[in-house]
Amino acid sequence: MLLKVEDVTKRFGGLVAVDSVSFEIKEGEAFGIVGPNGSGKTTLYNMISGVYQPDSGRIIFDGRDITDLPAHARAPLGIGRTFQIPRPFPSATVRENVAVGAMFGRAQADVKEAMEISDYYIELVGLSEQANKAAGTLTPLEKRLMELARALAMKPRLLLLDEVMAGMNPKDIGNIIELLQKVRQEEKIAVVAMVEHLMHAITKFAERVMVMHQGRKLLEGPTMEVLNDERVIEVYLGKKIREGAEGAEGHRT
Amino acid sequence: MRGVHTLLIIYAILLIVGLTVPGMWQPVAFLMFYVALGQAFNIFLGLTGYVDFGYVAFLALGSYGMAIAMDSLYQTGLGAAILPIGLLLAALMSIMLSLAVGAVALRLRGAYFAIATIGVNEGFRYLIEGARLWGGSEGIIITGAMRKIFGREMANFISTMVADVLVFGIGLLAALTTYVIIHKRMGYALMAIREDEDAARVMGINVTKYKIMAFITSAFFAGLIGASAWTLKMTYVFPSDVFLITYTVEAIVIVMLGGAGTLLGPVVGGITYGLLKYYLSVILPGFQLLILAPLLVAIVVAFPEGIVGYLKERVRGTRFEGYIL
Repeated sequence: MLLKVEDVTKRFGGLVAVDSVSFEIKEGEAFGIVGPNGSGKTTLYNMISGVYQPDSGRIIFDGRDITDLPAHARAPLGIGRTFQIPRPFPSATVRENVAVGAMFGRAQADVKEAMEISDYYIELVGLSEQANKAAGTLTPLEKRLMELARALAMKPRLLLLDEVMAGMNPKDIGNIIELLQKVRQEEKIAVVAMVEHLMHAITKFAERVMVMHQGRKLLEGPTMEVLNDERVIEVYLGKKIREGAEGAEGHRT
Repeated sequence: MRGVHTLLIIYAILLIVGLTVPGMWQPVAFLMFYVALGQAFNIFLGLTGYVDFGYVAFLALGSYGMAIAMDSLYQTGLGAAILPIGLLLAALMSIMLSLAVGAVALRLRGAYFAIATIGVNEGFRYLIEGARLWGGSEGIIITGAMRKIFGREMANFISTMVADVLVFGIGLLAALTTYVIIHKRMGYALMAIREDEDAARVMGINVTKYKIMAFITSAFFAGLIGASAWTLKMTYVFPSDVFLITYTVEAIVIVMLGGAGTLLGPVVGGITYGLLKYYLSVILPGFQLLILAPLLVAIVVAFPEGIVGYLKERVRGTRFEGYIL
Protein backbone atom coordinates (compact mmCIF):
# COMPACT_ATOMS: atom_id res chain seq x y z
CA MET A 1 0.00 0.00 0.00
CA LEU A 2 1.49 3.36 -1.03
CA LEU A 3 -0.65 5.73 1.02
CA LYS A 4 -2.74 5.02 4.09
CA VAL A 5 -4.85 7.78 5.52
CA GLU A 6 -6.11 6.65 8.92
CA ASP A 7 -8.99 8.37 10.65
CA VAL A 8 -7.78 11.88 9.84
CA THR A 9 -9.60 14.93 11.25
CA LYS A 10 -8.95 18.64 10.68
CA ARG A 11 -10.86 21.46 12.35
CA PHE A 12 -10.76 25.17 11.61
CA GLY A 13 -12.27 26.79 14.67
CA GLY A 14 -15.75 25.31 14.97
CA LEU A 15 -15.78 23.95 11.44
CA VAL A 16 -14.79 20.33 10.95
CA ALA A 17 -13.30 20.45 7.44
CA VAL A 18 -12.31 16.80 7.37
CA ASP A 19 -14.05 14.41 9.77
CA SER A 20 -12.29 11.09 10.53
CA VAL A 21 -11.60 10.10 6.95
CA SER A 22 -9.73 6.88 6.11
CA PHE A 23 -8.72 5.52 2.72
CA GLU A 24 -5.86 3.79 0.97
CA ILE A 25 -4.14 4.18 -2.35
CA LYS A 26 -2.23 1.38 -4.04
CA GLU A 27 0.96 1.85 -6.01
CA GLY A 28 0.36 3.02 -9.57
CA GLU A 29 -3.36 3.34 -9.03
CA ALA A 30 -5.68 5.82 -10.76
CA PHE A 31 -7.83 7.16 -7.95
CA GLY A 32 -10.54 9.80 -8.02
CA ILE A 33 -11.81 12.00 -5.22
CA VAL A 34 -15.11 13.68 -5.95
CA GLY A 35 -17.27 15.90 -3.87
CA PRO A 36 -19.05 19.23 -3.97
CA ASN A 37 -17.39 22.52 -3.08
CA GLY A 38 -16.48 22.63 0.61
CA SER A 39 -16.60 18.88 1.11
CA GLY A 40 -13.02 18.81 2.44
CA LYS A 41 -11.16 17.63 -0.65
CA THR A 42 -8.51 20.34 -0.70
CA THR A 43 -8.00 20.15 3.07
CA LEU A 44 -7.34 16.44 2.64
CA TYR A 45 -4.72 17.22 -0.01
CA ASN A 46 -3.15 19.83 2.22
CA MET A 47 -2.75 17.27 4.98
CA ILE A 48 -1.24 14.65 2.68
CA SER A 49 1.23 17.14 1.19
CA GLY A 50 2.07 18.62 4.60
CA VAL A 51 0.61 22.11 4.33
CA TYR A 52 -1.59 21.37 7.37
CA GLN A 53 -1.05 18.94 10.22
CA PRO A 54 -4.16 16.90 11.05
CA ASP A 55 -5.70 17.38 14.51
CA SER A 56 -5.92 13.63 14.87
CA GLY A 57 -5.30 10.51 12.82
CA ARG A 58 -2.26 9.28 10.94
CA ILE A 59 -0.89 9.46 7.41
CA ILE A 60 1.38 6.60 6.34
CA PHE A 61 3.34 6.85 3.10
CA ASP A 62 5.18 3.80 1.85
CA GLY A 63 5.13 2.23 5.31
CA ARG A 64 6.43 5.35 7.03
CA ASP A 65 4.42 7.58 9.37
CA ILE A 66 4.68 11.05 7.81
CA THR A 67 1.99 12.73 9.93
CA ASP A 68 4.46 15.07 11.65
CA LEU A 69 6.83 15.54 8.70
CA PRO A 70 7.03 19.10 7.30
CA ALA A 71 5.95 19.65 3.69
CA HIS A 72 9.48 20.08 2.35
CA ALA A 73 10.49 16.69 3.71
CA ARG A 74 7.54 14.93 2.04
CA ALA A 75 8.24 15.98 -1.53
CA PRO A 76 11.61 14.15 -1.67
CA LEU A 77 9.83 10.96 -0.53
CA GLY A 78 7.73 11.15 -3.67
CA ILE A 79 4.62 13.22 -3.01
CA GLY A 80 3.89 15.76 -5.74
CA ARG A 81 0.86 17.98 -6.16
CA THR A 82 -0.74 20.75 -8.16
CA PHE A 83 -2.91 23.56 -6.79
CA GLN A 84 -6.55 24.35 -7.52
CA ILE A 85 -5.53 27.92 -8.36
CA PRO A 86 -2.18 27.45 -10.14
CA ARG A 87 0.80 28.79 -8.23
CA PRO A 88 3.65 29.27 -10.69
CA PHE A 89 6.82 31.16 -9.78
CA PRO A 90 5.61 34.01 -12.00
CA SER A 91 8.75 35.87 -13.06
CA ALA A 92 10.80 32.71 -13.67
CA THR A 93 10.53 30.98 -17.04
CA VAL A 94 8.43 27.86 -17.57
CA ARG A 95 11.65 25.90 -17.95
CA GLU A 96 13.00 27.16 -14.61
CA ASN A 97 9.67 26.50 -12.90
CA VAL A 98 9.61 22.88 -13.97
CA ALA A 99 13.33 22.49 -13.22
CA VAL A 100 12.69 23.49 -9.59
CA GLY A 101 10.43 20.45 -9.31
CA ALA A 102 13.21 18.20 -10.61
CA MET A 103 15.79 19.72 -8.26
CA PHE A 104 13.93 19.44 -4.97
CA GLY A 105 11.40 16.65 -5.48
CA ARG A 106 12.24 12.95 -5.43
CA ALA A 107 14.51 13.39 -8.45
CA GLN A 108 16.95 15.60 -6.44
CA ALA A 109 18.63 16.55 -9.73
CA ASP A 110 21.50 18.98 -10.14
CA VAL A 111 20.91 22.08 -12.26
CA LYS A 112 21.98 20.56 -15.57
CA GLU A 113 20.00 17.33 -15.12
CA ALA A 114 17.01 19.32 -13.91
CA MET A 115 16.96 21.35 -17.13
CA GLU A 116 16.93 18.15 -19.18
CA ILE A 117 14.12 16.66 -17.07
CA SER A 118 12.31 19.98 -17.40
CA ASP A 119 12.54 19.97 -21.20
CA TYR A 120 11.21 16.42 -21.32
CA TYR A 121 8.08 17.14 -19.29
CA ILE A 122 7.47 20.51 -20.93
CA GLU A 123 7.35 18.71 -24.25
CA LEU A 124 5.13 15.99 -22.80
CA VAL A 125 2.48 18.50 -21.71
CA GLY A 126 2.88 20.42 -24.98
CA LEU A 127 4.38 23.68 -23.71
CA SER A 128 7.65 23.61 -25.65
CA GLU A 129 6.88 26.87 -27.40
CA GLN A 130 6.30 28.62 -24.09
CA ALA A 131 9.41 27.17 -22.40
CA ASN A 132 11.31 30.46 -22.23
CA LYS A 133 8.34 32.65 -21.37
CA ALA A 134 7.83 33.99 -17.85
CA ALA A 135 5.34 31.62 -16.19
CA GLY A 136 3.23 34.56 -15.01
CA THR A 137 2.39 35.44 -18.62
CA LEU A 138 0.82 32.05 -19.42
CA THR A 139 -2.92 31.57 -19.90
CA PRO A 140 -4.73 29.88 -16.99
CA LEU A 141 -4.89 26.65 -18.97
CA GLU A 142 -1.16 26.76 -19.75
CA LYS A 143 -0.44 27.42 -16.07
CA ARG A 144 -2.28 24.21 -15.18
CA LEU A 145 -0.23 22.26 -17.70
CA MET A 146 2.96 23.86 -16.38
CA GLU A 147 2.05 22.84 -12.84
CA LEU A 148 1.43 19.32 -14.04
CA ALA A 149 4.86 19.26 -15.72
CA ARG A 150 6.45 20.70 -12.57
CA ALA A 151 4.83 18.04 -10.39
CA LEU A 152 5.84 15.25 -12.82
CA ALA A 153 9.43 16.55 -12.88
CA MET A 154 9.55 15.84 -9.14
CA LYS A 155 9.40 12.14 -10.13
CA PRO A 156 6.66 11.51 -7.59
CA ARG A 157 5.29 8.13 -6.59
CA LEU A 158 2.03 9.77 -5.60
CA LEU A 159 0.70 12.63 -7.70
CA LEU A 160 -2.14 14.69 -6.26
CA LEU A 161 -4.00 16.68 -8.90
CA ASP A 162 -6.32 19.44 -7.73
CA GLU A 163 -8.93 20.19 -10.40
CA VAL A 164 -6.30 19.90 -13.09
CA MET A 165 -8.94 19.44 -15.79
CA ALA A 166 -11.21 22.33 -14.76
CA GLY A 167 -11.93 24.75 -17.56
CA MET A 168 -10.68 22.44 -20.27
CA ASN A 169 -12.69 21.45 -23.34
CA PRO A 170 -13.50 17.74 -23.91
CA LYS A 171 -10.63 17.36 -26.38
CA ASP A 172 -8.06 18.76 -23.91
CA ILE A 173 -9.50 16.58 -21.16
CA GLY A 174 -9.10 13.56 -23.41
CA ASN A 175 -5.47 14.48 -24.04
CA ILE A 176 -4.72 15.01 -20.35
CA ILE A 177 -6.27 11.68 -19.39
CA GLU A 178 -4.23 9.94 -22.06
CA LEU A 179 -1.07 11.67 -20.78
CA LEU A 180 -1.83 10.72 -17.19
CA GLN A 181 -2.41 7.07 -18.10
CA LYS A 182 0.89 7.09 -19.98
CA VAL A 183 3.01 8.46 -17.10
CA ARG A 184 1.14 6.28 -14.65
CA GLN A 185 2.10 3.16 -16.52
CA GLU A 186 5.60 4.21 -17.58
CA GLU A 187 6.71 5.64 -14.26
CA LYS A 188 4.43 3.72 -11.88
CA ILE A 189 2.94 6.85 -10.37
CA ALA A 190 -0.26 6.60 -8.35
CA VAL A 191 -2.36 9.47 -9.67
CA VAL A 192 -5.12 10.98 -7.58
CA ALA A 193 -7.45 13.32 -9.41
CA MET A 194 -9.82 15.51 -7.45
CA VAL A 195 -12.84 16.96 -9.21
CA GLU A 196 -15.97 18.79 -8.31
CA HIS A 197 -18.06 18.48 -11.48
CA LEU A 198 -16.19 16.59 -14.19
CA MET A 199 -17.84 13.20 -13.59
CA HIS A 200 -17.45 12.23 -17.19
CA ALA A 201 -13.69 12.73 -16.99
CA ILE A 202 -13.42 10.81 -13.74
CA THR A 203 -15.29 7.82 -15.17
CA LYS A 204 -12.79 7.71 -18.01
CA PHE A 205 -9.77 8.15 -15.73
CA ALA A 206 -10.21 6.54 -12.33
CA GLU A 207 -10.35 2.87 -11.40
CA ARG A 208 -11.68 3.67 -7.96
CA VAL A 209 -13.26 6.77 -6.51
CA MET A 210 -14.03 8.17 -3.11
CA VAL A 211 -16.95 10.56 -2.66
CA MET A 212 -16.67 13.23 0.01
CA HIS A 213 -19.56 15.12 1.53
CA GLN A 214 -19.40 17.72 4.31
CA GLY A 215 -15.97 16.59 5.45
CA ARG A 216 -16.87 12.92 5.62
CA LYS A 217 -16.25 9.98 3.35
CA LEU A 218 -19.60 9.10 1.83
CA LEU A 219 -18.58 6.13 -0.27
CA GLU A 220 -15.56 4.48 -1.82
CA GLY A 221 -15.26 1.79 -4.47
CA PRO A 222 -15.13 0.99 -8.19
CA THR A 223 -15.90 4.16 -10.16
CA MET A 224 -19.11 3.31 -12.00
CA GLU A 225 -20.61 1.51 -9.04
CA VAL A 226 -20.00 4.44 -6.70
CA LEU A 227 -21.13 7.19 -9.05
CA ASN A 228 -24.42 5.38 -9.72
CA ASP A 229 -25.13 4.89 -6.04
CA GLU A 230 -28.31 6.52 -4.82
CA ARG A 231 -26.62 8.33 -1.94
CA VAL A 232 -24.08 9.90 -4.31
CA ILE A 233 -26.76 11.04 -6.72
CA GLU A 234 -28.55 12.57 -3.76
CA VAL A 235 -25.48 14.59 -2.70
CA TYR A 236 -24.93 15.91 -6.17
CA LEU A 237 -28.47 16.46 -7.40
CA GLY A 238 -30.43 16.97 -4.26
CA LYS A 239 -33.40 14.86 -3.17
CA LYS A 240 -35.91 16.80 -5.17
CA ILE A 241 -34.79 15.48 -8.51
CA ARG A 242 -36.75 12.30 -7.90
CA GLU A 243 -39.73 14.19 -6.61
CA GLY A 244 -39.98 16.85 -9.27
CA ALA A 245 -37.97 18.70 -11.91
CA GLU A 246 -37.87 22.14 -10.19
CA GLY A 247 -35.22 21.12 -7.63
CA ALA A 248 -32.61 20.50 -10.30
CA GLU A 249 -31.98 24.17 -11.02
CA GLY A 250 -28.62 25.48 -9.88
CA HIS A 251 -27.12 22.01 -9.82
CA ARG A 252 -25.64 20.54 -12.92
CA THR A 253 -23.48 17.51 -13.40
CA MET B 1 29.54 34.35 -18.03
CA ARG B 2 28.83 37.52 -20.06
CA GLY B 3 27.04 39.12 -17.13
CA VAL B 4 30.24 38.76 -15.11
CA HIS B 5 32.19 40.44 -17.93
CA THR B 6 29.98 43.52 -17.70
CA LEU B 7 30.52 43.54 -13.95
CA LEU B 8 34.29 43.27 -14.25
CA ILE B 9 34.38 46.07 -16.86
CA ILE B 10 32.52 48.46 -14.54
CA TYR B 11 34.88 47.55 -11.71
CA ALA B 12 37.94 48.03 -13.94
CA ILE B 13 36.73 51.48 -15.05
CA LEU B 14 36.22 52.54 -11.42
CA LEU B 15 39.63 51.26 -10.44
CA ILE B 16 41.42 52.93 -13.37
CA VAL B 17 39.67 56.27 -12.79
CA GLY B 18 40.49 56.13 -9.08
CA LEU B 19 44.15 55.27 -9.57
CA THR B 20 45.04 57.44 -12.57
CA VAL B 21 43.01 60.64 -12.18
CA PRO B 22 44.54 62.73 -9.39
CA GLY B 23 42.23 63.31 -6.44
CA MET B 24 39.71 60.73 -7.63
CA TRP B 25 40.63 57.88 -5.29
CA GLN B 26 38.51 59.10 -2.37
CA PRO B 27 35.38 59.79 -4.50
CA VAL B 28 35.75 56.34 -6.07
CA ALA B 29 36.19 54.79 -2.63
CA PHE B 30 33.05 56.64 -1.52
CA LEU B 31 31.13 55.03 -4.39
CA MET B 32 32.71 51.64 -3.78
CA PHE B 33 31.40 51.60 -0.21
CA TYR B 34 27.86 51.93 -1.51
CA VAL B 35 28.43 49.36 -4.25
CA ALA B 36 29.85 46.85 -1.75
CA LEU B 37 27.06 47.58 0.75
CA GLY B 38 24.47 46.96 -1.98
CA GLN B 39 26.16 43.80 -3.14
CA ALA B 40 26.34 42.31 0.35
CA PHE B 41 22.70 43.23 1.09
CA ASN B 42 21.53 41.97 -2.31
CA ILE B 43 22.48 38.41 -1.34
CA PHE B 44 19.76 38.58 1.30
CA LEU B 45 17.20 41.18 0.19
CA GLY B 46 17.61 40.56 -3.52
CA LEU B 47 17.69 36.78 -3.47
CA THR B 48 15.10 36.06 -0.77
CA GLY B 49 12.83 39.10 -1.06
CA TYR B 50 13.00 39.60 2.72
CA VAL B 51 13.75 43.06 4.14
CA ASP B 52 16.06 43.23 7.15
CA PHE B 53 15.75 46.60 8.90
CA GLY B 54 18.50 45.67 11.31
CA TYR B 55 21.06 45.01 8.60
CA VAL B 56 23.51 47.71 9.71
CA ALA B 57 24.06 45.76 12.94
CA PHE B 58 26.13 43.27 10.90
CA LEU B 59 28.41 46.04 9.64
CA ALA B 60 28.57 47.46 13.17
CA LEU B 61 29.56 44.13 14.72
CA GLY B 62 32.15 43.68 11.99
CA SER B 63 33.67 47.03 12.78
CA TYR B 64 33.75 46.08 16.47
CA GLY B 65 35.41 42.77 15.59
CA MET B 66 38.28 44.57 13.89
CA ALA B 67 38.59 47.15 16.67
CA ILE B 68 38.60 44.48 19.40
CA ALA B 69 41.31 42.51 17.58
CA MET B 70 43.53 45.59 17.17
CA ASP B 71 42.87 46.88 20.68
CA SER B 72 43.54 43.62 22.51
CA LEU B 73 46.34 42.15 20.37
CA TYR B 74 48.60 45.12 19.59
CA GLN B 75 51.02 44.25 22.41
CA THR B 76 51.32 40.57 21.51
CA GLY B 77 53.87 41.08 18.75
CA LEU B 78 51.71 39.36 16.16
CA GLY B 79 52.37 42.36 13.93
CA ALA B 80 50.67 42.57 10.58
CA ALA B 81 48.92 39.22 11.18
CA ILE B 82 46.48 41.15 13.38
CA LEU B 83 44.83 42.53 10.23
CA PRO B 84 43.59 39.14 8.92
CA ILE B 85 42.76 38.12 12.49
CA GLY B 86 40.65 41.27 12.75
CA LEU B 87 38.82 40.46 9.51
CA LEU B 88 38.21 36.92 10.74
CA LEU B 89 36.83 38.12 14.07
CA ALA B 90 34.65 40.67 12.24
CA ALA B 91 33.20 37.98 9.98
CA LEU B 92 32.71 35.64 12.92
CA MET B 93 30.85 38.17 15.03
CA SER B 94 28.52 39.11 12.17
CA ILE B 95 27.85 35.45 11.39
CA MET B 96 27.05 34.71 15.04
CA LEU B 97 24.55 37.56 15.13
CA SER B 98 22.98 36.46 11.84
CA LEU B 99 22.59 32.93 13.21
CA ALA B 100 20.94 34.20 16.37
CA VAL B 101 18.61 36.61 14.55
CA GLY B 102 17.96 34.22 11.67
CA ALA B 103 17.13 31.21 13.81
CA VAL B 104 14.34 33.17 15.47
CA ALA B 105 13.18 35.81 12.98
CA LEU B 106 13.49 33.86 9.72
CA ARG B 107 10.70 31.57 10.85
CA LEU B 108 8.46 34.59 10.40
CA ARG B 109 7.00 35.55 7.04
CA GLY B 110 7.62 38.70 4.98
CA ALA B 111 6.49 41.80 6.84
CA TYR B 112 6.62 40.07 10.25
CA PHE B 113 10.29 39.37 9.70
CA ALA B 114 10.92 43.01 8.76
CA ILE B 115 9.20 44.21 11.94
CA ALA B 116 11.10 41.74 14.12
CA THR B 117 14.45 42.95 12.77
CA ILE B 118 13.83 46.64 13.51
CA GLY B 119 14.66 46.04 17.15
CA VAL B 120 17.96 44.23 16.55
CA ASN B 121 19.95 47.31 15.64
CA GLU B 122 18.72 49.63 18.40
CA GLY B 123 18.73 46.81 20.93
CA PHE B 124 22.37 46.03 20.29
CA ARG B 125 23.39 49.68 20.43
CA TYR B 126 21.74 50.21 23.82
CA LEU B 127 23.17 46.94 25.09
CA ILE B 128 26.70 48.17 24.29
CA GLU B 129 26.08 51.62 25.74
CA GLY B 130 24.06 50.50 28.75
CA ALA B 131 26.19 47.52 29.77
CA ARG B 132 29.36 49.49 28.99
CA LEU B 133 30.38 46.64 26.70
CA TRP B 134 33.44 47.22 24.49
CA GLY B 135 34.02 50.73 25.82
CA GLY B 136 30.32 51.57 26.01
CA SER B 137 29.34 54.86 24.42
CA GLU B 138 33.00 55.98 24.31
CA GLY B 139 33.65 53.23 21.78
CA ILE B 140 37.08 51.87 20.88
CA ILE B 141 39.81 54.10 19.48
CA ILE B 142 42.57 52.17 17.74
CA THR B 143 44.63 55.03 16.23
CA GLY B 144 47.45 54.37 18.70
CA ALA B 145 47.19 50.60 18.45
CA MET B 146 47.46 50.72 14.68
CA ARG B 147 50.57 52.92 14.86
CA LYS B 148 52.18 50.49 17.30
CA ILE B 149 51.37 47.50 15.09
CA PHE B 150 52.18 48.86 11.64
CA GLY B 151 54.24 51.99 12.27
CA ARG B 152 52.99 55.54 11.55
CA GLU B 153 53.52 55.47 7.76
CA MET B 154 51.96 52.09 7.21
CA ALA B 155 49.04 52.85 9.55
CA ASN B 156 48.27 55.94 7.46
CA PHE B 157 48.54 53.93 4.27
CA ILE B 158 46.12 51.34 5.63
CA SER B 159 43.55 54.04 6.48
CA THR B 160 43.80 55.92 3.21
CA MET B 161 44.40 53.09 0.75
CA VAL B 162 44.30 49.49 2.02
CA ALA B 163 40.90 49.93 3.68
CA ASP B 164 39.39 51.14 0.40
CA VAL B 165 41.02 48.37 -1.63
CA LEU B 166 39.60 45.85 0.83
CA VAL B 167 36.11 47.29 0.42
CA PHE B 168 36.60 47.13 -3.33
CA GLY B 169 37.62 43.47 -3.15
CA ILE B 170 34.87 42.49 -0.69
CA GLY B 171 32.26 44.05 -2.99
CA LEU B 172 33.61 42.13 -5.96
CA LEU B 173 33.70 38.89 -3.98
CA ALA B 174 30.10 39.43 -2.86
CA ALA B 175 29.04 39.97 -6.48
CA LEU B 176 30.82 36.83 -7.68
CA THR B 177 29.24 34.90 -4.81
CA THR B 178 25.83 36.17 -5.94
CA TYR B 179 26.59 34.96 -9.46
CA VAL B 180 27.56 31.50 -8.23
CA ILE B 181 24.50 31.22 -5.96
CA ILE B 182 22.10 32.27 -8.73
CA HIS B 183 23.30 29.45 -10.96
CA LYS B 184 23.25 26.73 -8.32
CA ARG B 185 20.36 24.80 -6.77
CA MET B 186 20.44 27.31 -3.92
CA GLY B 187 19.68 30.11 -6.39
CA TYR B 188 16.65 28.26 -7.74
CA ALA B 189 15.47 27.51 -4.20
CA LEU B 190 15.73 31.19 -3.26
CA MET B 191 13.94 32.22 -6.45
CA ALA B 192 11.09 29.85 -5.59
CA ILE B 193 10.93 31.19 -2.02
CA ARG B 194 10.87 34.78 -3.27
CA GLU B 195 8.10 34.06 -5.76
CA ASP B 196 5.82 31.78 -3.72
CA GLU B 197 7.00 30.45 -0.40
CA ASP B 198 4.13 27.99 0.12
CA ALA B 199 4.50 26.47 -3.33
CA ALA B 200 8.27 26.27 -2.77
CA ARG B 201 7.72 24.30 0.43
CA VAL B 202 5.43 21.78 -1.28
CA MET B 203 8.04 21.39 -4.06
CA GLY B 204 10.44 20.07 -1.40
CA ILE B 205 12.39 23.22 -0.58
CA ASN B 206 13.46 23.65 3.03
CA VAL B 207 12.69 27.35 3.04
CA THR B 208 14.08 28.19 6.49
CA LYS B 209 17.38 26.52 5.67
CA TYR B 210 17.90 28.42 2.43
CA LYS B 211 16.81 31.74 3.92
CA ILE B 212 19.31 31.31 6.78
CA MET B 213 22.06 30.36 4.31
CA ALA B 214 21.49 33.57 2.34
CA PHE B 215 21.26 35.57 5.57
CA ILE B 216 24.59 34.26 6.89
CA THR B 217 26.38 34.84 3.57
CA SER B 218 25.06 38.37 3.42
CA ALA B 219 26.03 39.06 7.05
CA PHE B 220 29.53 37.67 6.45
CA PHE B 221 30.21 40.27 3.75
CA ALA B 222 28.57 43.03 5.81
CA GLY B 223 30.91 42.28 8.70
CA LEU B 224 33.97 42.53 6.46
CA ILE B 225 32.73 45.83 5.01
CA GLY B 226 32.20 47.28 8.50
CA ALA B 227 35.69 46.19 9.57
CA SER B 228 37.33 47.76 6.51
CA ALA B 229 35.27 50.79 5.58
CA TRP B 230 34.72 51.96 9.13
CA THR B 231 37.30 50.66 11.62
CA LEU B 232 40.37 50.54 9.40
CA LYS B 233 39.49 53.78 7.62
CA MET B 234 38.41 55.85 10.64
CA THR B 235 40.62 54.08 13.22
CA TYR B 236 37.82 54.26 15.79
CA VAL B 237 34.36 52.80 16.47
CA PHE B 238 31.56 54.65 18.28
CA PRO B 239 28.22 52.91 18.78
CA SER B 240 26.35 56.08 17.79
CA ASP B 241 28.21 56.11 14.44
CA VAL B 242 27.89 52.49 13.41
CA PHE B 243 24.42 51.49 14.60
CA LEU B 244 22.78 54.04 12.32
CA ILE B 245 19.58 52.91 10.63
CA THR B 246 20.44 55.37 7.81
CA TYR B 247 22.86 52.80 6.40
CA THR B 248 20.17 50.11 6.33
CA VAL B 249 17.85 52.49 4.48
CA GLU B 250 20.63 53.40 2.05
CA ALA B 251 21.31 49.70 1.44
CA ILE B 252 17.62 49.08 0.69
CA VAL B 253 17.52 52.09 -1.67
CA ILE B 254 20.64 50.94 -3.53
CA VAL B 255 19.35 47.41 -4.05
CA MET B 256 15.85 48.51 -5.09
CA LEU B 257 17.17 51.28 -7.32
CA GLY B 258 19.62 49.02 -9.12
CA GLY B 259 17.37 45.97 -9.30
CA ALA B 260 16.86 43.46 -6.49
CA GLY B 261 18.22 40.00 -7.18
CA THR B 262 20.21 41.06 -10.24
CA LEU B 263 24.00 40.76 -10.45
CA LEU B 264 24.63 44.28 -11.78
CA GLY B 265 21.88 45.97 -9.77
CA PRO B 266 23.92 46.86 -6.68
CA VAL B 267 26.77 48.22 -8.83
CA VAL B 268 24.45 50.45 -10.85
CA GLY B 269 22.38 51.34 -7.77
CA GLY B 270 25.43 52.04 -5.62
CA ILE B 271 27.09 54.28 -8.18
CA THR B 272 23.85 56.12 -9.01
CA TYR B 273 22.99 56.67 -5.37
CA GLY B 274 26.55 57.64 -4.42
CA LEU B 275 26.84 60.17 -7.27
CA LEU B 276 23.44 61.70 -6.51
CA LYS B 277 24.28 62.05 -2.85
CA TYR B 278 27.75 63.42 -3.54
CA TYR B 279 26.80 66.04 -6.12
CA LEU B 280 23.69 67.16 -4.29
CA SER B 281 25.78 67.79 -1.18
CA VAL B 282 28.18 69.88 -3.30
CA ILE B 283 25.55 71.85 -5.23
CA LEU B 284 22.95 72.27 -2.50
CA PRO B 285 24.63 71.50 0.81
CA GLY B 286 22.13 70.67 3.51
CA PHE B 287 19.29 70.08 1.07
CA GLN B 288 20.52 66.79 -0.38
CA LEU B 289 18.10 64.56 1.52
CA LEU B 290 15.16 66.82 0.72
CA ILE B 291 15.85 66.41 -2.98
CA LEU B 292 17.19 62.87 -2.91
CA ALA B 293 14.13 61.36 -1.23
CA PRO B 294 11.49 62.43 -3.82
CA LEU B 295 13.95 61.75 -6.63
CA LEU B 296 14.41 58.18 -5.40
CA VAL B 297 10.65 57.74 -5.03
CA ALA B 298 10.25 58.87 -8.63
CA ILE B 299 12.91 56.47 -9.89
CA VAL B 300 11.48 53.53 -7.98
CA VAL B 301 7.99 54.32 -9.30
CA ALA B 302 9.29 54.59 -12.87
CA PHE B 303 11.42 51.43 -12.59
CA PRO B 304 9.77 49.12 -10.06
CA GLU B 305 12.16 46.34 -11.09
CA GLY B 306 15.14 48.68 -10.68
CA ILE B 307 17.34 50.09 -13.41
CA VAL B 308 18.98 46.76 -14.22
CA GLY B 309 15.70 44.87 -13.97
CA TYR B 310 14.19 47.31 -16.48
CA LEU B 311 17.14 47.00 -18.87
CA LYS B 312 17.08 43.22 -18.55
CA GLU B 313 13.48 43.19 -19.82
CA ARG B 314 14.35 45.55 -22.67
CA VAL B 315 17.25 43.47 -24.00
CA ARG B 316 15.45 40.14 -23.70
CA GLY B 317 15.70 38.42 -27.07
CA THR B 318 18.31 40.83 -28.47
CA ARG B 319 22.01 40.11 -28.85
CA PHE B 320 22.76 42.06 -25.66
CA GLU B 321 20.84 39.47 -23.65
CA GLY B 322 23.17 37.87 -21.17
CA TYR B 323 25.36 40.94 -20.78
CA ILE B 324 22.82 42.37 -18.39
CA LEU B 325 22.22 39.97 -15.55
